[in-house]
Amino acid sequence: MDDTATPNQQERQDRLQVLSGHVTRSSDDRVVAGLSAGIAARLGVPTVYVRAGFLSLTLAGGFGILCYLAGWIITPDQKQYGSMIEADHPATTGQQVGLALGFLAVLIALEAFGLWFGPVVWPATLVIFGAALIWDRSSAESRKRLSRLARPSENGGGRSKTQIFVGAALMAVGIVVVLASLDSIQSLGPAAIAVLLTAAGFMLLFGPWVWGLFEELSDERRARIREQERADMAAHLHDSVLQTLAMIQRSDDPQRMITLARAQERDLRTWLFEPTGLEPTGTVGEAIAAAASKVEVDFDVPVEVVVVGDRALDDGLNPLVAASSEAMANAAEHSGARTISVYVECTEDAVDAWITDQGAGFDPQTVPDDRKGISESITARMARSGGEATVVSTPNEGTEVHLRSGNR
Amino acid sequence: MTSIYLVDDHELFLSGVRAELSERFDVAGSSTDVDAAVDGIRKHRPDVVLVDVHMPGGGGLSVVGNVLETNPDIRFLALSVSDAPEDVIAMIRAGARGYVTKSIDPEALADAIERIAAGDAVFSPKLAGFVLDAFSDTVPVEADPELDQLTPREREVLRQIARGYAYKQVATRLSISVKTVETHVSAVLRKLQLSNRHELARWASERRIV
Repeated sequence: MDDTATPNQQERQDRLQVLSGHVTRSSDDRVVAGLSAGIAARLGVPTVYVRAGFLSLTLAGGFGILCYLAGWIITPDQKQYGSMIEADHPATTGQQVGLALGFLAVLIALEAFGLWFGPVVWPATLVIFGAALIWDRSSAESRKRLSRLARPSENGGGRSKTQIFVGAALMAVGIVVVLASLDSIQSLGPAAIAVLLTAAGFMLLFGPWVWGLFEELSDERRARIREQERADMAAHLHDSVLQTLAMIQRSDDPQRMITLARAQERDLRTWLFEPTGLEPTGTVGEAIAAAASKVEVDFDVPVEVVVVGDRALDDGLNPLVAASSEAMANAAEHSGARTISVYVECTEDAVDAWITDQGAGFDPQTVPDDRKGISESITARMARSGGEATVVSTPNEGTEVHLRSGNR
Repeated sequence: MTSIYLVDDHELFLSGVRAELSERFDVAGSSTDVDAAVDGIRKHRPDVVLVDVHMPGGGGLSVVGNVLETNPDIRFLALSVSDAPEDVIAMIRAGARGYVTKSIDPEALADAIERIAAGDAVFSPKLAGFVLDAFSDTVPVEADPELDQLTPREREVLRQIARGYAYKQVATRLSISVKTVETHVSAVLRKLQLSNRHELARWASERRIV
């Protein structure tokens, strides 16, 4: 019982307990509603036997389904109740035998009342409980394995061998009886039956074990991958971030520190938010971002890049990227602006780029002819590729270069 | 004086921001974890909360969500080192009125707080870009086209913001009043918060993979 329960909760718990016959439905271990796990916890037996019991009872004219539904209605959920009602200790051998005999008695009574799906029920019950025994063995073994990991000295007994043998025998008898009672399968011929029997037997005997092995393997693989990722990250952080931090500590020029920090930040962001670690796929946005970071490093001016509707970079778009790069460099070198904004928008018809600074600006009319920066690198380059370039600048307000490259 | 509350798990950053903002704002308090923040904000009822996105215990998302449930009138400005689209969009969808990165200069941060206190939304160039990207020209499948589309004018305002212009400059360039710019931005924010289209989520998740 939960010690921290308030009186109100306590009262509620007591009421629910009386209503439900001291059984709660499990929230964690459930196939349908968690009733089997709840009953198993209350009785102190492995869940798999309770499940087997419900399954057998279902063959008795569907009685198991009826019981399950009734149980579902009257028992509270673990969460609703507040905690799980559990037996103080696992059922003793005597209790186990008692439960088994009680269950047998119920089955016999049901047969006597005619709630019965025919001769198949008894052998099927044998098969079900045989399988349950084997299943329980496998889970007991994995539990044992876990406890052995924790306490290396402790070693499991031979109980599981007996259990598997009894389980297999029960199943074999059950299967033979079922097959003997079904005429249609007999017509397949004894060889086919033998093969089927052997296959089914192997599956039931070794299935849980193979499954466990498989799970274990994939667990190990996952752990290895995690370890690998951690090592990659450590290596990357060491190569980049730690190096940069060391450089910053040695540097006494604030501007240089800022530049280093920004370059590192950009690098780390790329690495963190594009976790595939693949080579750049070659999009317009990546090319512009690369150009921007070069300008940042060369001129110590932050460049803010925003890209909308990124798309693959093709030859037709190279001039746009080159002209953008030139425009950024111009802005960084001449405008004196604190930051440069680059906005690229890729639509179905065209790619547009705006390179904006809010710096000194200039009067386009007064630019001497021998200054080829704008006319050659930007305007003419765009014109040659079938695009266009517009430069708008007002002294003391800033400059905006608009580049447009249409789709061909 | 506008009262503000700071939530960030980095003490150093908290004290830095506090020092920068204490002249212009009444700093009502600060917290370094989610639960303390939710209690503190409910107690002090500041005008604007500056909230970090990545924190242990649910992060900024749960602060915004929890407080807005009881105090829908408190406004949030998300402040983060991350400008990953999924973080930005998630915070806005949770109810934050703006999103700025921690590299913002103090002056711009103060302006952003004033603007949010006045009931407007704050879009950084990056956020404007994300929104334009998310509401790109794909044909809406959902039933509510009003909500799922930006008007041409809203789109134009966002483009100007993405190009690095302040609200005042946007107003001049588009020959409209600053108030109109603010109205457009608030409308976009509302669409972003209410829009139920799947594309938004898909867009954000795709961005992470690309």
